[in-house]
Amino acid sequence: MKVKALKKTANELKIEVEGVGHTLCNLLQKRLLEDAHVESAGYDVPHPLASNAIIYVRTKGRMKAEEVLQSAVEKIRETNKEFGKELQKVLKKA
Amino acid sequence: MEIEVLEKDEKNMRLLIRGTNVPHVNALRRIIMTEVPCMAVDEIVMLENSSILQDEIVAHRLGLIPLKTDLDSYNLPEECPCKSEFGCNLCRVTLTLDVEAKEGTKTVYSDELKSENPEIAPVSGKIPLVKLAKEQKIRLEAYVRLGKGKNHAKWQPVSMCTYKYMPKIEISKNCDGCGKCVDICPRNVYAKTENKVEIRNLMACILCMDCVEACTQNPPPIEVSWEKDTFIFSLESSGALSPERILSEAIKILDKQLKEFESQIKVKKIEES
Repeated sequence: MKVKALKKTANELKIEVEGVGHTLCNLLQKRLLEDAHVESAGYDVPHPLASNAIIYVRTKGRMKAEEVLQSAVEKIRETNKEFGKELQKVLKKA
Repeated sequence: MEIEVLEKDEKNMRLLIRGTNVPHVNALRRIIMTEVPCMAVDEIVMLENSSILQDEIVAHRLGLIPLKTDLDSYNLPEECPCKSEFGCNLCRVTLTLDVEAKEGTKTVYSDELKSENPEIAPVSGKIPLVKLAKEQKIRLEAYVRLGKGKNHAKWQPVSMCTYKYMPKIEISKNCDGCGKCVDICPRNVYAKTENKVEIRNLMACILCMDCVEACTQNPPPIEVSWEKDTFIFSLESSGALSPERILSEAIKILDKQLKEFESQIKVKKIEES
């Protein structure tokens, strides 16, 4: 996974990520839009066979785009861990 | 988040997941189909083939046989320390096939494949491979490797993995009990009792709305909707791995990808500042 910054201003960030597709990007975009600091978030997979994606985030200005991106990833990891724990618990009972 | 096991056996699992969202269950579904590794025949060496099927066809048929997979003792070829194109004991298993139709026609089944590791064997021994006429022979060596579904469907550990919203149906008191919805429902969700319509099997509903359209009353007393944060997640393993292992492996892979992404954006920050 390689990240390349395409555009970066005070509250904007556009990155190209190699080796990710809709799986991760959709998860990230939807989580970013839940954040009150985010004005706009989107992603594009330019070619369906090449697995690299372009992720775009723009904040309302209070927070930097990298910061919201990072907190979104952290939140997704938390829910995923919670899901894993819950699954183990339920499977043990069953 | 709350999970309930609706159904579980050796190959199938159906879960009711509350308090989650579409992107997350969809990410898990996509990872199960494309990223969770399992074993399949990758290359063969044909030593002798006098059957009417060409080597390539036999190779393709071998590739599609689901094999019981041991994820803990084997490595993915690209991650194996041996770095060899041919593979080593940690990333490759050899199967051999040596059959001859001695008395009349013979169908070769998957249980005639001899594995060097008895743990890695076809899920079913009753998969037909090729039919041989009298005196025809097949001798081959097949190399099994771990792989991912995104490279070839033979490395997909599931035959089916889907999710749907938990349906929600409300029948108001105005219902005259004509029973039109009972007849039209393709999944037999409703049952008619005397002059009332009851919900018999809510989870079978596929939200097709046929019942609402078939209703003679206006406005229809049936309201079909779905719970936005509750999903029925079903998974059918090919037999390579247990369904619970597939799902927990998917969770692990998702976490690994997120962790890598996180560290990459951190590195980016340091570089720029």
